[in-house]
Amino acid sequence: MNLLLADILFGATAAVYLAACVLFAAFLLGRAERAARWAPRLVAVGVPLHAAQIVVASLVLHVCPVAGIHFSMSIASMVAAAAYVLARARFRIDVVGAFVAPLALTFLLASRFVGSADVPRFRSAILPFHVAANLLGVALFTLAFATAVAYLVQERRLKQKKLEGIFQRLPALDALDRAEHRFLVAGFPLLTIGVLTGTLWAREVEAGGAAEIARAALGYVSWVLFGLVLLLRAAAGWRGRRAAYGTIAGFGFTVLVLLFYLVRDAAAGASVAMGGP
Amino acid sequence: MILVVGLSHRTAPVEVRERLSVGADVLPAVLARLASRSELLEAMFLSTCNRVEVVALARKGGLDAACTAIREELARQGGVSDPADLKPYLYEKQGDEAVTHVFRVAASLDSMVLGEPQILGQVKQAYDAAVDVGSLKGTLGRCISRAFGAAKRVRTETAIGAGSVSISSVAVDLARHVFGDLNERVVMLLGAGEMAEAAARSLRKDARALLICNRSFDRAAALAGEMHASAVPWEGLEQELAAADVVVASTASRTPVVSRDMVKRAMRARRGRTLLFVDIAVPRNIEPEVHRIDNVYVFNVDDLEQEVVRGLKARQGEVEAAEKIVGDELAQFLAWTRGLEVQPTVVAMRVKARAVLFAELERSLAGRLKHLTDGDRAALTQMMESAVNKLLHAPTTNLKARAAEHEDAGELAAAVRFLFDLQEIAGTGEARAPEVPGAATGNRPSDDDERLPN
Repeated sequence: MNLLLADILFGATAAVYLAACVLFAAFLLGRAERAARWAPRLVAVGVPLHAAQIVVASLVLHVCPVAGIHFSMSIASMVAAAAYVLARARFRIDVVGAFVAPLALTFLLASRFVGSADVPRFRSAILPFHVAANLLGVALFTLAFATAVAYLVQERRLKQKKLEGIFQRLPALDALDRAEHRFLVAGFPLLTIGVLTGTLWAREVEAGGAAEIARAALGYVSWVLFGLVLLLRAAAGWRGRRAAYGTIAGFGFTVLVLLFYLVRDAAAGASVAMGGP
Repeated sequence: MILVVGLSHRTAPVEVRERLSVGADVLPAVLARLASRSELLEAMFLSTCNRVEVVALARKGGLDAACTAIREELARQGGVSDPADLKPYLYEKQGDEAVTHVFRVAASLDSMVLGEPQILGQVKQAYDAAVDVGSLKGTLGRCISRAFGAAKRVRTETAIGAGSVSISSVAVDLARHVFGDLNERVVMLLGAGEMAEAAARSLRKDARALLICNRSFDRAAALAGEMHASAVPWEGLEQELAAADVVVASTASRTPVVSRDMVKRAMRARRGRTLLFVDIAVPRNIEPEVHRIDNVYVFNVDDLEQEVVRGLKARQGEVEAAEKIVGDELAQFLAWTRGLEVQPTVVAMRVKARAVLFAELERSLAGRLKHLTDGDRAALTQMMESAVNKLLHAPTTNLKARAAEHEDAGELAAAVRFLFDLQEIAGTGEARAPEVPGAATGNRPSDDDERLPN
């Protein structure tokens, strides 16, 4: 097991995801009808490569993959891609891969080039649960976000009565709405666990800096937003466009939380490089 | 000359078409008004979802007046004070172009849904109504009959109608893009007419449940029985909107039957579930504002056109075959109509020949041949008839053939009139022979003359 193997797996995974992105783009642009068949298969090929890369890299670096944000982001994108591969046949949302593949690729690249694989300074028994729940939640919210974006595109085309082009290539409107809801329903309990364990962990390590508070606040906001989307759908029939906007907003706050981690790790990395603590 | 003045899905939006459309109940009155116009010799009014047009026969030299008369009547029908307001939407076709248009319309080559079978029935209804009112007679009637023949040939000799992109199939396709599988969805048909029946046939195998709602419950029940669907009373429409996912509307109502408020209430009961309306009626059955409600989508016939265009591309080969058939039939009809142009000359020539010969025969029978018996006289008369027929057979046939094949047969007819000194009736261009005893066959063409060229 060496770093070269990890790099090869990383390169192969990135190449496969990139190829899937290109095929999805070609399909959506109407350049290659058959691309729709091959692009999801490439994502399916990318998932085990991605998993292997995470395992090998974590072993090489002697880092528990769910102990920090670095690998967690990569795992989240891998789980999102895996969930997509499993869900695409059931919900007939093949083309949602057009949003999932670029996200998986971005997260994969970010895990490599942004921040460091170091584990946090404050270690705790709660932390793996917190990270695992969050990364699974993020994976499902990534899918919910992707389906919400696809829904809004379809909905807009329908309201404008433009039934050609991308409208013909994206999944059925109602299938997107249902898939988005299911992803939220599956992801919300995980996020709830993530928020609770995060709160407990913060109390345990007595994290009280402004950045920590802001990050926690953003986490709570995303939890509240996702909760509201689900609650209003059940109680007031808020579905479709409103639910999609709520999901996108919730995912936006989730991404902000991740950015906080990345910036923190990047800053920590820079500080170490400059001889800091 | 035959002319067509009207508008269609190609020239006017549904908002304009629905104003001018004519229901079966008022069609006789509209036709009677057209028939009373002195500018028009014959007229037929065709009103479908996608077109409103008048096909007419104008007086010779009165084409502009005929167009103006039709524009005025269309404006009157649509409640438009100034006929000029309609001009941007109207097309006007004359002569061969008008006849071509009529043939293509009947053959469903000008339909939004290419190859759809309904148009032929609609043209037949318009034809029957015009015949009943008496506004359709010889030339235009023959034109429409010939168009039916062309349409039937297109239907039987090409696959243009097979697997055609009907409005119903387009509606199903659209519903699939909104809902995915329809086997969990409830589809409701508003109306129980021909279009609803076609929609029911397309949808019954896909939908979980099919509801039919019609003003006449008996008609709804009859169609529901036929299609294994459920009939819904008209009064329960709003309640059923809460249950249905796809609503296909095709009633003959002149005003919308589904309002924005009605749908807003239904959406509350549906808890925001998506609702799709496919409004294939003209005038429209669903208020356009309904489309603005969240999670509600309304598509009318114009909106479905782009879906249909995709179907058209897929069957381009059939279209070309159909256009060829229409072209063949059209050529035959135009040959016949050009034959009609030389008909007065042919008749006048025969009348004059008979007049001259029979006048001579009468004189001889009264003079030198007065000793002949009745049998001999009859034989002489018969001989004279045969001589006239044989003598004029070649010029008659050649003149008609020339007319059928060339548009310049008028010059040849004029030469014949000059050579035989046939008088022309002032202002009509028709030739007339002098009235003579024993030659009173008039200007009516014989059965042989009426026969269409084949």
